[in-house]
Amino acid sequence: MADYRKLVLLLASLAGATVAFGALPASLTPAQMNAAIQTDTLTIPTPGEFFAAINKQGKPNWTTFIRKPVILATTSRPQLALELGTLVADGFIAVEAQDGQQVKNVGKDIISISKTLGISQDIINRGNTINDFAENNDWAGLNEELEATENEVKLTMAKQKDSDLVTLVTLGAWIRGVQTVSGIVDKSYTPESAKLLRQPAIIQYLLTMIDKLPPKLQENALVLRVKNDLKSTEAIVNTPFKDSVTAATVHQINDTMSKLVDAISKSEGGAAK
Amino acid sequence: MKKSYLLSIGILVFIAGSALQSQSTKPVAPAPTATVAPTASPDAAAESNIDPRSKALELAGAFTNDGFKIRDGYFTGTIDAKKPQIFALNLSAGNQYWFCVGAVPADQKLTVSVYDENGKKVDSEKYQDLSMAAAGIVAENSGRYFVYVALEDAPKAEAQKAEYSFLYTYK
Repeated sequence: MADYRKLVLLLASLAGATVAFGALPASLTPAQMNAAIQTDTLTIPTPGEFFAAINKQGKPNWTTFIRKPVILATTSRPQLALELGTLVADGFIAVEAQDGQQVKNVGKDIISISKTLGISQDIINRGNTINDFAENNDWAGLNEELEATENEVKLTMAKQKDSDLVTLVTLGAWIRGVQTVSGIVDKSYTPESAKLLRQPAIIQYLLTMIDKLPPKLQENALVLRVKNDLKSTEAIVNTPFKDSVTAATVHQINDTMSKLVDAISKSEGGAAK
Repeated sequence: MKKSYLLSIGILVFIAGSALQSQSTKPVAPAPTATVAPTASPDAAAESNIDPRSKALELAGAFTNDGFKIRDGYFTGTIDAKKPQIFALNLSAGNQYWFCVGAVPADQKLTVSVYDENGKKVDSEKYQDLSMAAAGIVAENSGRYFVYVALEDAPKAEAQKAEYSFLYTYK
């Protein structure tokens, strides 16, 4: 009897050992997925990463997506932070268009807004590097430099106890990126290219970040509008994992994001200058 | 009598095996880390964690020869055998990705696996060189993916910890 018990224990421990060594779970539990680490600099793709994917669906005419220069006359820090984000995305668009002068212009605009926000010291050097890369048509280098500039802006904001604005820079870049990609897909819709706009998890993450902002900032009219538009967009892109979004949805996304970009770039008491 | 003992042994082994199997498919979830502030190049942290990040960058650098771009953002932390780390990322359909980790001390063996939005494991290419590891995929669908980083050979490394750095490349 005692021998059988030993045998049972031996066999059981062998079975356990086989499983414990090197076994990875075949699937994750909902609890594990909910507790996964999310960071602003990893969880949100850069506009460049997003644009790399749309480039595989065809050859967009990137030049047509370059915006006219925006001179934003406002003292609203939330609006300036959102605009800074849209400018970062503009930089990536200029890189895709391989327009060195436009990259330099955008770099100048980023520094100008950074000055207004009082975070220009560290950014000026980045601006010089952007100019050097643009002079040499180093598009790959520019892609990485633009992301580094965005992160440097956010770090400086965090250091200066302006970390609430970090979320708004992220939002601005994402909104302008989605406006651009939805514009490309809207012009020549395919279910494959429209798959790129299925981003419910990003929107949920951004909404969570907005909910963490101080109440006063959450009550800002522009931030409120961004939140409402994100909620309505989340509702229409929340399709099953392997599905795409319809042409009508793409058009709606483009319309919503275009109006948001216009609102972000609109000067106090008038249109964008 | 002998037959019933054999049956008991069989059932017990099956139950024990199943229980352990079930444990292995539900590893300890990482400590809730909630949302973390931007981690790109924080001076103090970069100083104290230069080795794992350098290793991750060294590995990622190899992929740049093949046209991959390295994300500027990264995450540095501590991992132990009982607490695999899971990262939630949003990937774009059609893009190729390599997820890279580096760790110190150098004898810590890490593994990297990728799971889709529904928590199902995604087939990936693997690179493994002791304290540097990577997993590569082509995202077939846009959406949320999870990168699972674990210390290998858990029973041996039970009491050990490693400093690690995670980043990714795309093209």
